[in-house]
Amino acid sequence: MSISVAQDRGRGQTGLLLVLLPVALVATLIIWPIVRAVMDTLIVTGPDGASLSFASYRFFFTDAHSMGNLRITIWTTAVSVSILMAIAIPIAIYLRFVTGRTAAVVQALAIFPLFVPSIILAYAFIRVLGPNGMVDLILGSFGLPRIRSPYLTPWGPVIGFVWDNLPLSVVILMAGLSNVTNNAVEAARDVGAGKFAILFHIILPRIWLSILVATSFVVLGLFSAFTFPYLLGPAAPEMMGPFMLRTFGDVMDPVQARTQAVITFLICAVFGWFYVRSIAKNRARREAA
Amino acid sequence: MATLELRGLTKVFGATMAVEAFDLDVGDGELVCLLGPSGSGKSTVLRMIGGFETASSGAVLIDGQDVTRMPPERRPTSMMFQSHALWSHMNVAGNIGFGLKLRRLPRAEIARKVEEALTLVGLAGMGERRTDQLSGGQQQRVALARSLVLEPKILLLDEPFASLDQHLRERLREEVRDLQQRLGITMVFVTHGQDEALALADRIVVMRDGRVQQVDRPDRLYRHPETPFVAGFIGQMNLLQVTVAGGRIAHPAFDLDVTATDGPALLAVRPEALELIAGEGAGRLHRVTDFGSHAVTEIDLPGGERIKAMTPEVPAAPPGTPVTIKPLRAHLYRDDRVIWSSDAMSRTSTRAHAHG
Repeated sequence: MSISVAQDRGRGQTGLLLVLLPVALVATLIIWPIVRAVMDTLIVTGPDGASLSFASYRFFFTDAHSMGNLRITIWTTAVSVSILMAIAIPIAIYLRFVTGRTAAVVQALAIFPLFVPSIILAYAFIRVLGPNGMVDLILGSFGLPRIRSPYLTPWGPVIGFVWDNLPLSVVILMAGLSNVTNNAVEAARDVGAGKFAILFHIILPRIWLSILVATSFVVLGLFSAFTFPYLLGPAAPEMMGPFMLRTFGDVMDPVQARTQAVITFLICAVFGWFYVRSIAKNRARREAA
Repeated sequence: MATLELRGLTKVFGATMAVEAFDLDVGDGELVCLLGPSGSGKSTVLRMIGGFETASSGAVLIDGQDVTRMPPERRPTSMMFQSHALWSHMNVAGNIGFGLKLRRLPRAEIARKVEEALTLVGLAGMGERRTDQLSGGQQQRVALARSLVLEPKILLLDEPFASLDQHLRERLREEVRDLQQRLGITMVFVTHGQDEALALADRIVVMRDGRVQQVDRPDRLYRHPETPFVAGFIGQMNLLQVTVAGGRIAHPAFDLDVTATDGPALLAVRPEALELIAGEGAGRLHRVTDFGSHAVTEIDLPGGERIKAMTPEVPAAPPGTPVTIKPLRAHLYRDDRVIWSSDAMSRTSTRAHAHG
């Protein structure tokens, strides 16, 4: 008995050693900088020593420019995710249930942006839809008026984000759709379900977790995005990524930049908590079965 | 009251002919089994009846009405799938009541019908359970209840018990048979298990490579197989390549008088229709397996063939003992059809062959 206890203890120590490195990395490279950033925004050192202060947060939430940037970030994220899901779900369902050459072409087109860096996508977007871009040149060659380019409007980053995040979303949704068997769909048709009934009663309830995963990835990515909002979209209001950089580099206000980062982090953390909770609940339900 | 007529039903997948000119009439309240090996086209026929595959040509008529181009959701049929295909995000009652909900029945009536269906399949009071909390047999019962609750004219079953263990499979098929007789519902049942088909069916359709080999009652199918494939597929059968000359098969191990023209043919003899005489003969006893209720003896013949004989008693002879075989009933096939059948041994004579 004592041998088995010793073996168990040995195994436990090996397990701890194995997780030590990743835990140490997370603690030093993620947790500690977060704690430092939060402390820097809350603790002000004056002539009388260090004291607790919410001044930087008060400034952020009362400053129209900062709030405008937060609002445009939330707006861009919400609109991008909505459009992305509206496009990705039908494509994933199409690719799940249709086979053949057309489906292969659609799959290749949907997955292709995954292999193209964001900066290339942004420049491709500018060269196609921007002023004097390919669309303008084609329209001009037919004597037609130029388009009102979305390049420098809030829709610029939205189009870029949708394009950039489409492959990953489609891949995640297709993985979820692999759980929806052909027989499950046929059984629904057999009892009288039409296309919409199958979509709302059979397919969507089975892939909600995949939708949540895809949405979470996109939301977390968009809040910390820099390339698209830096290259596309209006100069003001701007999204939180370039705003933080400008506050840090150009305005040279590191405390305010950290405050913006903490606020961005907290919004993402709320979404992350919701995501983790849903995954945990689903796992608990599966394990109970 | 429902009859099913299949007229020249054909299905082509690319260059593959899955089902070719399939004709079948199923009477009201009849249970017909489609039996065949994998790839014989039996499931494709069932899926064409259910509307899940579109026939390349031919027609499906239910109560005389042509439903060939009708989608599954509008056909008066219901299908039970091999994988039970329950929707795991719904509970048992949700699964059974889904079709009723789509028909916009009042909630109270849905609840009543669901409970009736659950009682019918022996799962009364289990409506609130999640489907993944049920055993395999219970899940198939839920699938059956889901099909029955819609009161279909024809119930289609696609190897519904294939994933269950032998004991449960036997019990469920008896229950399905009882239900079918009680409700008088017309059923088409696909299986590749001959035992299942023989136990369940009023009639069996044996299929091979998309074509019908034979349609008959189970007893006739066993005793009068019309093709060598049916002879070999239903039950155990010894198949021997023989030559007919002058109305007689002169095999090194036995002689048999037949009424057939001269030429090569295939002789089919069931193990239980083979009498063994140990002690002399051209055969050599290879192995005896005692199954308790009967024994199966394997015999090596001079031509290199190995045949099986079923006897009520275990032969008291060691391996290597010379054996004479005596076919009591046999069928003779040529060009893929039966040319002679014998029900008694009156026309058969045997000859002991000295070996060595």
